[in-house]
Amino acid sequence: MNTKSISTSRPRKLVIHETVTSYLFLLPFLLFFVLFVIYPMFMCVFTSFFDATMGREDIFIGFENYKRLFADKVFWIALKNTMIIVLVSVPVTCAFSLWVASVISKMPVAATSVFRCIFYLPVVTGSVAVTMVWKWMYNNYYGIFNYLGTNMGILDKNINWLGDPKYALGCIILILLTTSVGQPIVLYVSALDNVDKSLVEAAAVDGATSFQAFWKVKWPQMMPTTLYILIITMINSFQCFALIQLLTQGGPSNSTMTIMFYIYYNAFKLFDYGYGNAMGVILAIIIAILSAIQFKVAAEK
Amino acid sequence: MKKLLALLLVGAMSLSLVACGGSTNEAPAEEAAPATEEAAAEEAPAEEEAPAEEAAAASEITLWTYPIGNWGDQATLDTLLADFEAATGIKVNVDFLTYADGDDKVNAALEAGTAPDLIMEGPERLVANWGAKGKMVDISDLIDDTDKAEINPAALAACFDAAGACYEYPLVMTAHCMAINKTTFEAADAMQYIDAETHTWTTENFLKAMEAVNAYTGTQVGAVYCVGQGGDQGTRALVNNLYGGTFTDAEHTKYTWDDPKNVQALEKLVEMDSINFDAGIAGGDEIALFYNGTLDVAFCWNIAQQLNPNSANTGAGLTLEGDEIMFMAFPSENGTDTKLQGGIWGFGVFDNGDAAKIEAAKTFIKYMCDSEKTADAVKAANYFAVRDTAEGADLSGIWADNEIMAEYNVLMPYLGDYYQVTTGWAEARTQWWNMLQQVGAGNDVATVVAEYCGNANAATGN
Repeated sequence: MNTKSISTSRPRKLVIHETVTSYLFLLPFLLFFVLFVIYPMFMCVFTSFFDATMGREDIFIGFENYKRLFADKVFWIALKNTMIIVLVSVPVTCAFSLWVASVISKMPVAATSVFRCIFYLPVVTGSVAVTMVWKWMYNNYYGIFNYLGTNMGILDKNINWLGDPKYALGCIILILLTTSVGQPIVLYVSALDNVDKSLVEAAAVDGATSFQAFWKVKWPQMMPTTLYILIITMINSFQCFALIQLLTQGGPSNSTMTIMFYIYYNAFKLFDYGYGNAMGVILAIIIAILSAIQFKVAAEK
Repeated sequence: MKKLLALLLVGAMSLSLVACGGSTNEAPAEEAAPATEEAAAEEAPAEEEAPAEEAAAASEITLWTYPIGNWGDQATLDTLLADFEAATGIKVNVDFLTYADGDDKVNAALEAGTAPDLIMEGPERLVANWGAKGKMVDISDLIDDTDKAEINPAALAACFDAAGACYEYPLVMTAHCMAINKTTFEAADAMQYIDAETHTWTTENFLKAMEAVNAYTGTQVGAVYCVGQGGDQGTRALVNNLYGGTFTDAEHTKYTWDDPKNVQALEKLVEMDSINFDAGIAGGDEIALFYNGTLDVAFCWNIAQQLNPNSANTGAGLTLEGDEIMFMAFPSENGTDTKLQGGIWGFGVFDNGDAAKIEAAKTFIKYMCDSEKTADAVKAANYFAVRDTAEGADLSGIWADNEIMAEYNVLMPYLGDYYQVTTGWAEARTQWWNMLQQVGAGNDVATVVAEYCGNANAATGN
């Protein structure tokens, strides 16, 4: 009897001990998560219902910030620009990364590493430094694009790349692409390495072409990686801020205004915290919906 | 369940990433109550004229300063602050701000309750922004009748709000101006349009000079920069002065840049071959382009630039190629009625609710702005003192040994109204450069000006 009770109580104690230990290990991150993720998220939603500014009590205004937002034409321009950035940069980044990864993964190991480093360099270089270099290249007066363009007869005269509404958003997207492809390339190279070689060989024995082997065998195995890349690239594109802040400030004529920059402008320049947070909530909802769609599509695949 | 959890996590992640820091209706209430009580406690002894005894000065305070001359230089400040500590026993810890992100840093600190005790900048921030939001201490008790008599009236007036509270003690001032590449102007025979003695020119002569330089160089002469607010005082002064327009009314209650004279000026600038509206550069970029010889005039200029063009340390009054730079007043109809934008810089005290630190901050201000040590503080700023004497010390001749500073004094009588304290200034500035972008894009000037000026006035409640 005594022996039996000891044998049953020991595992229970062990389970409790392990559970407590596990939660203690999780605790530091959990605190961090609550403090820097859950709490700001709650405050963002909460503040969006107030007329909140610096130096006075906040005033509860219900959904007024949201009503104002839908009547704000700059917000709609910002939303349109943001969507253009996402719709262009996400597929291009994924397709380009996959292409580069599939090419360099067939190279010798040393060459693959060199190319991975080259493509990853803009990711680890400070965004301000990268942006400044691009600013010089785009310079209206002595930038390399205008220099080459006019000397090679491609351009009749210098183009004010960042100062002309026709080109500014495209220029921003181009920079975003160069800073976005590094991580996906590294991930795709790893994913391609992890593809079950025996399945590829079996497909080849069965007469599959390279494209068929890729599309029917490799691609499904890389789907989790693709899903991850799609989501992080989409979130990065939605949150394109530093480039706009350093290069165009949303101009010219709001042609590069994004929701992130408009949030910053309202919250930190005009001290309109409630309005800025309302935009943040809308942006989060959009990102969540698009992420859900991506999850759904990827799951079906 | 897993999908739901995944979706919730994605939502949480994205929402937290876009969440703005901001006050709530609860947090400020908790902060406001003790602050109000302490402010009231501070006011009582002040009314009894015994503040020093009631609140002994703290032994350590913090100062945040924007790059105002060498007040942005650690070595210069080390000397000044060591002298101050030796004289008063108060240690001052300094943090340097930049104009690119300084405002955000201060705003974040104010919301977090970690603002410095002292800040050095101009009335557009200290009075019109943080002062108006109740974050600054009213330091009008530091300004007595003698100070009122000694300090430049326009500079002093800008440091007070409409209710009579003083949020800045001014130290230095200057007049923002423009500059020309004198070497190129001489080569283009355009100096004939300039009064080199008074550094002024009429609008008519300005147009002729620009045409002459354009004909000589065959390239763009100047740029109406408008990518952002950096250096926007230059574009405002250019437009306002050409035909005598105004930016605000005299009472600083309304933006008046939809004045037909400003519309006329903008239309003229648009049609000039020598000038281009450039939505890709700001004032700092324009200075760099002027310095490296790409442009032959700069609309963003002042004495600090004249002393050290482009902050490149390659010689006062010289471009990169060694061409001579000549500072100029903005052109106006008769040349002598130009109104230059003023730059005023001084100190303000943040209301952190600590009477001892406020007292120490006031001691610092008095030491730097109104004592025999004021000359050192002014010289560190590389600008002109806002007063001729401070506690008996003569400040009128502190730049007598500097030929450029002495010559620059010719512009000081043209100092115009300091309208940057008008309500809704942050919004108005944004409307201004956005408007310039629209004008530069070829839209109808009168329509665009009316729209954007209207937006600015909407921010003031007009």
